[in-house]
Amino acid sequence: MSGLAVALEAKRFGARAVLGSIRFEIPPGERVALLGPSGIGKSTLLALIAGTEPDVQGRIERPAGRIAMVFQTPRLLPWRTLLENILLVPGSGGEAHARALLAQVGLSEAADQHPEKVSLGMQRRAALARAMAIEPALVLMDEPLVSLDPASAAEMRRLLVAMLDRTGAAALIATHDRGEALALADRVLMMGGQPATITSDQRSPLDRSRRADPAAVRAQQDAWFGHG
Amino acid sequence: MTWQARALWPLLSLAGLFAVWAVAAWLAASDLLPGPGAVWQSFERELAGDYLTHMGATLLRVAAAFVLAMGIGSAIGIALGMSEAADRIFGGWLVFFLNLPALVTIILCYVWFGLLESAAIAAVAINKIPNVATTLREGGRALSRDLAEMAHVFGMGWRVRMVHVVLPQLAPFFAVAARNGLALVWKIVLVVELLGRPNGIGFAIHQLFQDFDVAGILAYALGFILVVQAVEIFVLGPWERAANRWRR
Repeated sequence: MSGLAVALEAKRFGARAVLGSIRFEIPPGERVALLGPSGIGKSTLLALIAGTEPDVQGRIERPAGRIAMVFQTPRLLPWRTLLENILLVPGSGGEAHARALLAQVGLSEAADQHPEKVSLGMQRRAALARAMAIEPALVLMDEPLVSLDPASAAEMRRLLVAMLDRTGAAALIATHDRGEALALADRVLMMGGQPATITSDQRSPLDRSRRADPAAVRAQQDAWFGHG
Repeated sequence: MTWQARALWPLLSLAGLFAVWAVAAWLAASDLLPGPGAVWQSFERELAGDYLTHMGATLLRVAAAFVLAMGIGSAIGIALGMSEAADRIFGGWLVFFLNLPALVTIILCYVWFGLLESAAIAAVAINKIPNVATTLREGGRALSRDLAEMAHVFGMGWRVRMVHVVLPQLAPFFAVAARNGLALVWKIVLVVELLGRPNGIGFAIHQLFQDFDVAGILAYALGFILVVQAVEIFVLGPWERAANRWRR
């Protein structure tokens, strides 16, 4: 099984170069955080990998198997119920499977509701269930915890890890939050500069079991990034 | 609002209009402005004659032209809205046909194709297509890029994208086009009938005009308004409410 291999030379929007030379690989099953300030080009990089931004200088080898995405906004079809939103994705595996997934993210009661009638946190969780329904080889996540209140964010983080544990999917998680990167990823890519490049690529000091503890994440956060 | 309340206000509003009409007719006291009673008598007289035949012929023409115009106009409009290149090339054509007078289209269709049913329906449809296309073009432009990307990433096929992603976004634009369309189509159908058909309300009104029978003309017009109102209340309205159920 092959993973994701990105060998990007540049990405321009008109005359403006947003991304410079970017090279990294993600082997199957690895969880990688893409850490950088807002507006640096993380979403653009994810769009290039997802194939929604077709115009690219360089090569992107996608892993065998499917790619799913959890967008920064849920991007559910507002005129379809949460359940229908999952069932409309080809290969999502039928109603029983979709209902089971919604139950896993705590939405069994809301499965037949329309997205605009439930909270943002619930929409986010439905979007996560939709991404995992296709048993993807790689999940791209764009700020999956942003603009959630602390309790919803903690719940979403827990579900996200549980889903990745269960499916064994690789993940590339764009975030501006150091604590979030440490809590989710095996490896942290830092993005910076103009045009943006990868400025550092390091393994997380916390293994998967230790990063589940918020105190351990907080303890590492300043120290590790301080000389990172 | 309950359906009773929804039905009550339009009824009260119409009753007011009838009252104004009745008072005006009473003040004028002339055959050229008959009151509701005189119109009702004409209606009963015409009903014993060919009223329903004419009404049926007109309704069939309206339905055929409406379906044609909505189908072709939507396809053109959505294509122009989604493709900037297509809009650059054909946008000017739309302006041309939008401003082509209905009467010119009708006469040209009759001249080129003969005084045929198909020419009559084509003439009406051609008049309406640019309006539908213009409305749906706005809808095509307003389509969500976010949702299109989502559909792409998750590998949704063409049919699923159309039925579940694109068309629901266009529903409000279809509603506007349909509502404006019905009113416009039936007005043009009457002209088409007046100029070159042996039946239909337009033809009947033409004959009544020869006799200056204003009550008869109003009887036909009111009957048709009632039919269009019924379509609005029983077809378009419920469809729109069903299409908007998901809104918060």
